[in-house]
Amino acid sequence: MRYVRIFFYYFQGAFAERGRSFVWFLISFLNPLILLLFWSGAAKSGATFGQWTLSDLASYYFLLIIADALLDAHIEETVARIDIQEGGLTKYLVQPFSYVIQKLFEESPWRMIQGFFGILVFLLFRFGFGFVISIQTDPSLVCLCVVMMISGYAMSFLFKMILGLSALWTTDYRGLSELVGVLMLIFAGFVMPLEFFHPILKQIAILLPFPYIIYFPIIAFQGKLIAIEMIKIILIQWVWICGFIIIYRKVWQRGVRLYTGIGQ
Amino acid sequence: MIISVSHLSKQYEIYKKEAGFIGSLKSLVSRKYETVQAVDDVTFEISEGELVGFIGPNGAGKTTTLKCLSGLLYPTAGKIEVLGYTPFDRKYAYLKQIALVMGQKNQLWWDLPAQETFLLNKEIYEIPDDVYAYTLGQLVELLDVKHLLQVQVRKLSLGERMKMELIAALLHNPKVLFLDEPTIGLDVVMQKQMRDFVKNYNELQKSTILLTSHYMEDVRQLASRVIIIDHGKILYDGKLDNLVKKFASHKVLSVVLDSYVERNKFEEIGTVVSYEYPKVVIRVKRKDSNTAASSLLKKFPVDDLNIEEPDIEDVIRDVFTKK
Repeated sequence: MRYVRIFFYYFQGAFAERGRSFVWFLISFLNPLILLLFWSGAAKSGATFGQWTLSDLASYYFLLIIADALLDAHIEETVARIDIQEGGLTKYLVQPFSYVIQKLFEESPWRMIQGFFGILVFLLFRFGFGFVISIQTDPSLVCLCVVMMISGYAMSFLFKMILGLSALWTTDYRGLSELVGVLMLIFAGFVMPLEFFHPILKQIAILLPFPYIIYFPIIAFQGKLIAIEMIKIILIQWVWICGFIIIYRKVWQRGVRLYTGIGQ
Repeated sequence: MIISVSHLSKQYEIYKKEAGFIGSLKSLVSRKYETVQAVDDVTFEISEGELVGFIGPNGAGKTTTLKCLSGLLYPTAGKIEVLGYTPFDRKYAYLKQIALVMGQKNQLWWDLPAQETFLLNKEIYEIPDDVYAYTLGQLVELLDVKHLLQVQVRKLSLGERMKMELIAALLHNPKVLFLDEPTIGLDVVMQKQMRDFVKNYNELQKSTILLTSHYMEDVRQLASRVIIIDHGKILYDGKLDNLVKKFASHKVLSVVLDSYVERNKFEEIGTVVSYEYPKVVIRVKRKDSNTAASSLLKKFPVDDLNIEEPDIEDVIRDVFTKK
């Protein structure tokens, strides 16, 4: 119960800044919407998209809005800039509570609030504007989708924590952060579904962690994966999670010795 | 001993870039690093309930020492024990018994009332409900902030925020309190309130307090023992009163004259610090103070004369400048 209570205190903190959450959500919302307009235009001019219909693409991008808001953690900026570079880490280091769990409790409410906005938009377009959006309805497969989503978020959170901690070694962590942003954009499926990639590029993508954070949870919710494929992806996600946990622990143990908080 | 520091040293490596574009290009090939000795072979002990002032100019190593003691920094060499723990292990049992308050750092939620941070800290430090209610009530009363508990932190003044910071840091009744510049940026009234609070808290809780401050008044009012540090080394560790005897090379003669005497006439006695007739202040060598006083009485129309110790702030300034 102690952990739940701490989580709710952090939730209050994020809820107090819901206006900022909404503005950030708009960024997650507008990019897929623009891409959807592009695909709609292409469909009107007679283009075909392999086995994907325009309705599939609409579902994909609407689910992408939710997935981006809900699953893509942005904790690296806080860790690198506020905690490490500006000395905010000091506060956490003298508290008898895990830093990574506090950061998880700090970040998750933001994802939940923005994900909630995403679901509202999804419902608005589905029932308000009558968009045909196909999603998985089989309860057992929906459960697997939820597991996949949670695992995707865990991957994203741990990966971004490691990225943030890189500021303990680098003067300007932003270069690395921007590079990861570009890779995410391409390989997590933000631009288009991996289905449309060249086979070699697709092969590279599935060797990277990014599609397991956003792309696979989306197509699982779309009903494009069967149970066995979903279980296989969840297992791969957990291999990544275990790898990230090991890396995080090593990075933290070594990095925290470098923390100086000079002048703080 | 509650705090035991033995031969503590802490070094940092800092990169020194040459100025200009050429310097930037050179840094791609080879970089010059300089080792900064922030703390150099520092040894001291502090007993339970002591309130010790840690004084030094900027960059002297005060905050670094405090950070090593609170477990934030890993020492380069030496041994530290606080409450029987090695701080850098950051055992939860240890962290539950200490608090670090940094005057320039904020741990409160900016957009929520301070009481929300207090509740979060209650959970983090696993403070039982009754202990929390009692301690909070006591601290709120001591600092007179009951009316501010439900006000957003962003709406509080700096002094009010500092009071809330102190409450957040003290809710778990720490046995050892590290205060780093707790009065920085506060007005004189608020500074006094803070000092009174720290003094009362130390007396009430019998907690051990290590305080750094740039304001001598903080140290003068609060600490009977001071540790003076400069360039990472301890220059003095002892009672504040003895500091003057040890380091002050002079005394001050304060004279009130009966009739006007020209300023330059006093130069044969010592250095005239100020002269605003009828008052004259003369600085003389410590060992010559009695002779100088007797000469003054003999040669000048003196109405009143006092032999005083120099101001502690001047003594400390002299210590640092001589170094």
